[in-house]
Amino acid sequence: MTGATNGHLREITRRTALGALGAGIIGATVASWPRLSGTDIPGRGDNSLSIAIMGTAADAAARQRAIDAFTRLHPEIKVKVQAIQAVDWKDFFTKILTMVAAGTPPDVVYVATEGAQLFAEKLAHPLDEYVRRDAADMREFFDDVHPSLVEAFMYKGSLYQLPMDWNAANMYYNTTAFAQAGLDRPADDWTHMDFRNSLAAMRKARTSDFTPYYWTNRLFGGVVPWLYANDTSFLKETRSGGGEWLWDGFYANDPSRGLRSGGYQWLEPNANDDRVFESFDYLRGLVKDGLGVRPEEGGGSSLVGLFASNRIGTTPAGGYWVQGLHEAGMGANDFDVQFFPRWKTQRHQFGTAGYAIMKTAKDKDAAWEWIKFSSSREAMELIFPNPITTPARRSMVNEQLYAGKGPAHWKVFYDTLDRFPTTGPIPAPPQQAAVETALMKNVSLAVSGDERQLKQALASMQRDLELALRRQS
Amino acid sequence: MSTTTPRRERPRPAAGQAVPAQHQPTAKSRQSQRWLAWIFLAPTILGMGLFTLIPIVASVVLAFFRWDIISAPTFVGFDNFSEVVQDPTVRVSFLNTIGFVVVAVALQLGLALALAIMVQEKMPAWLRVFFRSAFFFPLILSAASVSIFMRYLFNEQFGVVNWFLSLVGIPAVPWLTTPGGSAAVVILVYVWQNFGFSFLLFIGGLASIPVETYEAASIDGATGWRKHLHVTLPLLSPTTLVASVMAIISALQVFDQPYVLTRGGPGDSTRTAVMVIFESAFQRLEFGQASAIGVLLTLIIMAITAAQFRLSKRFVFYQ
Repeated sequence: MTGATNGHLREITRRTALGALGAGIIGATVASWPRLSGTDIPGRGDNSLSIAIMGTAADAAARQRAIDAFTRLHPEIKVKVQAIQAVDWKDFFTKILTMVAAGTPPDVVYVATEGAQLFAEKLAHPLDEYVRRDAADMREFFDDVHPSLVEAFMYKGSLYQLPMDWNAANMYYNTTAFAQAGLDRPADDWTHMDFRNSLAAMRKARTSDFTPYYWTNRLFGGVVPWLYANDTSFLKETRSGGGEWLWDGFYANDPSRGLRSGGYQWLEPNANDDRVFESFDYLRGLVKDGLGVRPEEGGGSSLVGLFASNRIGTTPAGGYWVQGLHEAGMGANDFDVQFFPRWKTQRHQFGTAGYAIMKTAKDKDAAWEWIKFSSSREAMELIFPNPITTPARRSMVNEQLYAGKGPAHWKVFYDTLDRFPTTGPIPAPPQQAAVETALMKNVSLAVSGDERQLKQALASMQRDLELALRRQS
Repeated sequence: MSTTTPRRERPRPAAGQAVPAQHQPTAKSRQSQRWLAWIFLAPTILGMGLFTLIPIVASVVLAFFRWDIISAPTFVGFDNFSEVVQDPTVRVSFLNTIGFVVVAVALQLGLALALAIMVQEKMPAWLRVFFRSAFFFPLILSAASVSIFMRYLFNEQFGVVNWFLSLVGIPAVPWLTTPGGSAAVVILVYVWQNFGFSFLLFIGGLASIPVETYEAASIDGATGWRKHLHVTLPLLSPTTLVASVMAIISALQVFDQPYVLTRGGPGDSTRTAVMVIFESAFQRLEFGQASAIGVLLTLIIMAITAAQFRLSKRFVFYQ
């Protein structure tokens, strides 16, 4: 009898305990609910200005200094910066779009040329009214920034971003490899054939564990600089009208004023152009003769290490490389930079980046204040204390920035824009991701086989680009 | 002296004695048990509903809409499906995926079985533990991280693999820049990372085969590989079925390795179905088309799994 009673009691006790546990879980969930849906999500639940940038914790100190300086100027605006880690800009935009899909878009996003038109077309708010309103304050900025960089952020006559930093695809070279091959510094107007001869000389002078020309398969620094030098591109480039308010207002006396427009447009594929074939055929020749590598898709992450370890002779890159090479142990005179070789033209390719205000931004005026502050000399000096990129302000690209780090001819970086005013941005229409995929997937095949394979790859590229541009148009 | 402690048991009712009332659940206690069951099931049901069922239904519904996240969705009927079917990249990616599944799953299961048999042979216990851990270890690594360092290893100019090959006079192989080389590397990396799971399943299956069966086979004159052919493989067929179903479903969803190693190239040679879903949704903002591809992939996975279970009736031997 006792046993039965005990058993019954144990059963009740266990049920009660388990029931209480279940109730406890529900209670805890209910109690913590406000925290789960509110302020834990950056920028939500308060009036902070949410800013998304591509970056890592490594840049946090410089970032914080800029935020502190902004807060001193605008104590009424709370700022939250989200540094989003990404492999490349395409990866970064994917993450931003995921935030948009999740209903938590940032108010301001740091966008590079690759995504400028995607944002302008679908996500960003034009800056025209703010630039016009604060024209007096902005004049000093535009005076210091080359119009080519500003034009890259014009879209259908409106301005969507202010360029903060930029990089052209110049040609880096290893000075030791050049010296060992008996080569002098190339001339400013060296041609694509001079370049090929330099590679051949380095190939002859160095062991097999050395690549005279290393390049990657991506939009910046891949095949595009060669296409630009040969006065062509894989997309037909046109310009839209408009934008006079900006050019007449800030660049009326600029010698390149006549070149400026309401923005670039890439509406049709151009992979079947004869000069595109000629450019690819040239690269195919470099690969075939062991002067250049077959480019991997994406890539770029290992490039600094390989160059710094003296295993690469030349590679296209911009000013963003200097700090990396310095940290990898390269001395100021171990490498140098020259303009990209001339072919039909010496037009360079560049990429630039700046802040865009999202259409969904809660407080666009506050967002503009952040952009205006970030474009100031004071803020840019805080954000770019080292040559991790080329600042958009000409006055900041100076001896002091490159002191002790090189390259000896750092002036090449900004001179690219002055010497070659037709230098243009990465071809990146609103359908950039699809266009980039269509280009990249066909490059390796185009430069790896015989002439027949090259023709097939370009025909395939033309088809893929047609499909990519038709999408979302 | 006995060292066991006598277990306290509930008094059993004697023959003919009435069962105590507490052992017959009353309506009230049955109802409270039902409530208790629902309380315990609730978190799982809620989680499954929120994170599995609703997304599945939403994904199927989305396949009939055009949606780019930013604008409002527009109903387009079966347009997404017809566009997807006509898209050469989608077609190639599905063919690639099927080719990948055939080769990768065959290698994965073959390697896992061979190593499981090897490890189950006589060897010191510590060595067996070592091998089991070593073969399983790649599975717990992040596929993206593994792919990043494999990318370095297989670099044509500076990779370790080509350096070793050069020691024996083999010229540099363009692993990641030719269609054949890149497909081989993707398969190799995938199999290396995933065979550990099948290996563990086979280890479990082998352990459950009675020793007497092998002894009987020995008496009948079976030796070496014939024993494995006529005893191990048939008795392991239920495990093989489970391992193959899981391996095929997993391989049909391959994404990380080709995305990090080759980005689907050169050309479309390593582009897979899930890569196309990702590119359609998050790079081209065509969520409707991405959902349509996802629905097609799900149907293919269901068809293959159903076919496997149907075939299993003929080939799987249960003791």
